[in-house]
Amino acid sequence: MSLAWRLLKAALSSLWAFRSYAALMMIGLIIGIASLTVIHQIGQGAQQQVAARMASMGFGADAFYISSGGGRLGVRRGMKRAVTLTPVDAASISRLDGVAQVVPHKNVARTQVTAGSNHTNTRVRGAPPGWAAARNWSMLHGRFISRADIGQSARVAVVGTTVVRELYGGANPVGRRLRIGRTPFIVVGVLESKGSSGWRDRDDIILVPLSTATKRLSRDDKISGMRVTMTDASRVEEIKGEVTAVLRENHSLGPGVPDDFLIITPDELMKLITRQSRSLVVMLTFVSAVSLFVSGVVIMNIMLVAVSERAYEIGVRRAVGARRRDILYQILMESLMVAAAGGVCGLLLGILLSYLATLLLGIPTAFSPSGFLWALGFSAAVGLFFGVAPAKKAAGLHPVEALR
Amino acid sequence: MIKLKGITKTYYRGKVETPVLLGIDLHVRPGEFLAIMGPSGSGKSTLLHILGLLDRTSGGSYLLDGSETSTLNDDELARLRNAKLGFVFQAFHLLPKSTALDNVLLPFTYAGHFPQDAAHRARHALARVGLEHRLHHRPGEMSGGECQRVAIARALVNDPEVIFADEPTGNLDQRSSLEVISILQGLNAEGRTIVLVTHDTAVGCMCRRLVRLIYGRVDSDEIIAEPTQAMRQLQTLMEAAK
Repeated sequence: MSLAWRLLKAALSSLWAFRSYAALMMIGLIIGIASLTVIHQIGQGAQQQVAARMASMGFGADAFYISSGGGRLGVRRGMKRAVTLTPVDAASISRLDGVAQVVPHKNVARTQVTAGSNHTNTRVRGAPPGWAAARNWSMLHGRFISRADIGQSARVAVVGTTVVRELYGGANPVGRRLRIGRTPFIVVGVLESKGSSGWRDRDDIILVPLSTATKRLSRDDKISGMRVTMTDASRVEEIKGEVTAVLRENHSLGPGVPDDFLIITPDELMKLITRQSRSLVVMLTFVSAVSLFVSGVVIMNIMLVAVSERAYEIGVRRAVGARRRDILYQILMESLMVAAAGGVCGLLLGILLSYLATLLLGIPTAFSPSGFLWALGFSAAVGLFFGVAPAKKAAGLHPVEALR
Repeated sequence: MIKLKGITKTYYRGKVETPVLLGIDLHVRPGEFLAIMGPSGSGKSTLLHILGLLDRTSGGSYLLDGSETSTLNDDELARLRNAKLGFVFQAFHLLPKSTALDNVLLPFTYAGHFPQDAAHRARHALARVGLEHRLHHRPGEMSGGECQRVAIARALVNDPEVIFADEPTGNLDQRSSLEVISILQGLNAEGRTIVLVTHDTAVGCMCRRLVRLIYGRVDSDEIIAEPTQAMRQLQTLMEAAK
């Protein structure tokens, strides 16, 4: 049996002897670490969800999105957003060096759509043939919009599964008719379902050829936005600058006039989404930091009392040859172990609460090993820091005084 | 073995000076069984604490095995206590949640390295005080006499040169006291040096040398030619009880 093991065992048996104290000491720490764990796991879950959603939109690191209308990302712009981008803009951008692909689209206002006696209200969007591949959509039935459809501004439609359910009761609608407003279309394909993205149903959509949308469903040939893919992800910032210059020139914006378009990079989008939950996270983190601090103070005070109660034990240990630092290490070891035990309990409680949050409230959470180490490290730090005063008090006791 | 020369000790509480020892000369030879007696406030406990290296002197010289101890630092004193001294206290001072065996093993925890045969030596020490059947009992499960015998085993386990006992019978009934003194007499008969403090004359007369302190000075220092045998008294007591 090694000396270290002996010391550890001594600390463990002292803790066991004073287990009601130890439990009291751990409560605050358990709550603090548990809430930190929950916050961390919710944060991780949200980030994973956002990342997954962005990936499913084909929004990799090598792409950005240009939206019509100015303003700032995350700042709510007016209901009537100016539609400023044009097919000419798309063409100029696609000619830039380093741009691999430009996929424009046009949103048509939500419109009444009918098929036979069924009707629904859905998003209608004009898109080029490359749109499906660019956004990772695959076909369930039929085909996507073709080059020929664009050339003819054909009245063909590709529908999402929600629309299929609403209009055709779930039956394969390829070859059947529908009306968008008053314009008749023929369904040529059905998109594979992508499910809800949290804030909206991504399958609730009808796609028509971009040229059909500009010529037949609206009065102008403006486009709502476009997705620009780079040949090289490292050139995103550089190309973003060039695109800005091209668009400002195309739109004849003089110096000092704000942009009438908005370039959104995946980084900015990620930041925006995490920023929305930041204030909550900051508040919860503050609360748990306070509870950890308070629990540290509680640990310190209980340990100080325990040291007084155990004075004779310290005296005996000193009498049989313990040096001051042996006593110091022993008390530090005890507070460290109480804190670490509290940390582990808090972590387990936090994991359980996160699991319940997912199960009962549908909040996405994710476990990360870094969070585990973090919780352990944090509670150990609390134990060490707040153990110093009691340990110093114990080590400073005079053996004769302690034995009285 | 132990040579005290002109030992003084003064306590300072705030600005109040309380001189307790006023110059003690004392020579403890190997194999002695020395009792220090004296009225309250005579400084006998203070003297024992100084002898046991638990407290520092205010002046004078203390040679242990020929080397001066008053210049040693805290860690060196702790090392000496661990290697050469053993302690028995009035209130036993066992760790309440540890077994008898673990209590006896305590000195080895601070011995620098934990000896291979520690458990064996601890069992042996407990057997020496007649507690081989109490290895795994905790203090709460034993009588006061048994607790004090565990404490003696703890003082004995590192094979010390001197055992210091501070009122070892102060918390015990007559029979347990006799048992404890009889064990100490046995250890002394085997050659072990023992210094005990007591205010009980009967206990003092069971030692082989008696030093009386009055007001911080040695008042008398006598050899007891025929110390009372605790074992015999114990037998008398048992017979009377029958």
